[in-house]
Amino acid sequence: MKMIYKVSVERCIACGKCELACAFAHGTEGKPAVSRINITRRGPELGTPVICYQCDTAACVAICPTQALVRNEKTGAVDMDRGRCISCRMCVAACPFGNMLWDETYHCVQKCDLCGGDPQCVPFCPTGAIAWVPADMAAIPPEVLDREELAVG
Amino acid sequence: MPTLSIDGKKVVAAEGSTILEAARTAGVDIPTLCHHDGLEPWGGCRLCIVDLWQPGWDEDWFKLVTSCNHPTADGMRIFTKSERVVETRGVVLDLLLARCPDAPLIQQMAADHGIEETSYAPREEPDDCILCALCTRVCDHLDITAISTVNRGAGKEVAPPFHEAPPDCIGCLACAEVCPTDCIPYETSNVRRSIWGKEFEMLRDPATGQAVITKAQAEFFAGRGGVPGTYFDTSDTSKRREMAKKFVSLQILE
Repeated sequence: MKMIYKVSVERCIACGKCELACAFAHGTEGKPAVSRINITRRGPELGTPVICYQCDTAACVAICPTQALVRNEKTGAVDMDRGRCISCRMCVAACPFGNMLWDETYHCVQKCDLCGGDPQCVPFCPTGAIAWVPADMAAIPPEVLDREELAVG
Repeated sequence: MPTLSIDGKKVVAAEGSTILEAARTAGVDIPTLCHHDGLEPWGGCRLCIVDLWQPGWDEDWFKLVTSCNHPTADGMRIFTKSERVVETRGVVLDLLLARCPDAPLIQQMAADHGIEETSYAPREEPDDCILCALCTRVCDHLDITAISTVNRGAGKEVAPPFHEAPPDCIGCLACAEVCPTDCIPYETSNVRRSIWGKEFEMLRDPATGQAVITKAQAEFFAGRGGVPGTYFDTSDTSKRREMAKKFVSLQILE
C-alpha cells in the first residue's frame, strides 16, 4: 500500500518535537532552525506544521537546472541528489509553499525526503498531528484533540 | 547491460554509464576533482585515471583512461590501483601541490596518496585555483557563460572578459559553490551580493527582508520559463506563513 504523509493541523500543539527530530535526523547539531518541517505558531499551543507536499508537478523540479531533484518512485518523495546540486538556490526561491530551505551551515539546500520512507519526525509527535499512513486512510478526518485533558495542573 | 570487472569485482553497469559511475555503484572509490554529477564529464584533472583492458586486446596490453568520461563496454577489465595508476596519479597530485601548496583539499589528497611535500618548485605567488574548470562549466551549463578560462599554459586562469565586471553574470554563486578549493571570493547578505567585481541587488521579501537570490537571477530564471516569476517574490518564511493562514481561511481550523 502506498503510504502518505498526513498532517492534521487541528491536532498540533506547537511543541516543536518534530522540528528537533528532523534536525537531529539530518544534521549533527540538532538545530531546529534547519529543520525541514516548520511549525508556524498561531497562538499558545496552536501551530501549523508546514512540510514539503511532494507536489506532483513541482516548481522545484521544473526550475532545477541540473535535474538534481527527482521523484523517488518507492517513497513518492521528490528526492534531492546532492551530487548534482550546484547550490544556485533557485528551488528555494521557486517553491510556492516555502518548503525548500537554504542551510547556511552546510551550504546546501534542505528538503524533506520522507527519510527514505520512514519519517523520523512522526514517532515524536505526541498528538498524532503528523502521521505516516496508508494513502486510503489519508482522507479520514482526525479525531478532535481534547486540549483540556492534555493541560497540566 | 555491460558486465565488466573492476579490481576483480564483477559489476553490471547501467546502459550508457561511465566507468566512474560503474565503480561508484560497485563501491570502488576513484578520486576526482573536476567531476560533478550535474555537469558533463570533462576529464580535466586526470586524477580518475584507471587501467583499462578490453576484449580483443593483447593480454598484457592496458590503456590509461579517464574513468569519468569513458563509457563502459561488455567484458572490460578495470584496475583502479595498479602500479601505473598509482604512479601517474601521484605525479598529478605532486604537480597540483606545486601549483596550489596552500589549498587544504590538495594537501589532504596528496597526503592520502603519501605525498607530504611537492617535489617540484612551488608556484611563487600561488592561489588555490586548480583550473578544474568546474566554475566555467557550471556557468556554461546555465547558458550564462559570464566567466571562462583565459590565456594558455602557465598563464592560464579563470576570469571574466577583460578582467572587468562580467556583464552576463547573474550572481547565482554556483561557480563559488562548486569550486572544490573554495577559491572564488564573494560576499552576500540580505541586501547586496558581490562576485567577480560585480555588485548585485538582492530580491528581498517585502515583509521579512530575507533574500536568497539576486534580482538578476530571478529575471534570468523567469525568462527561462517553467515557473512563473511571481513565485520568486517572497521568501520561504513568508510563504510558509501564507500557507498557515490559508489553512485558517479554509476553515480547517477555528
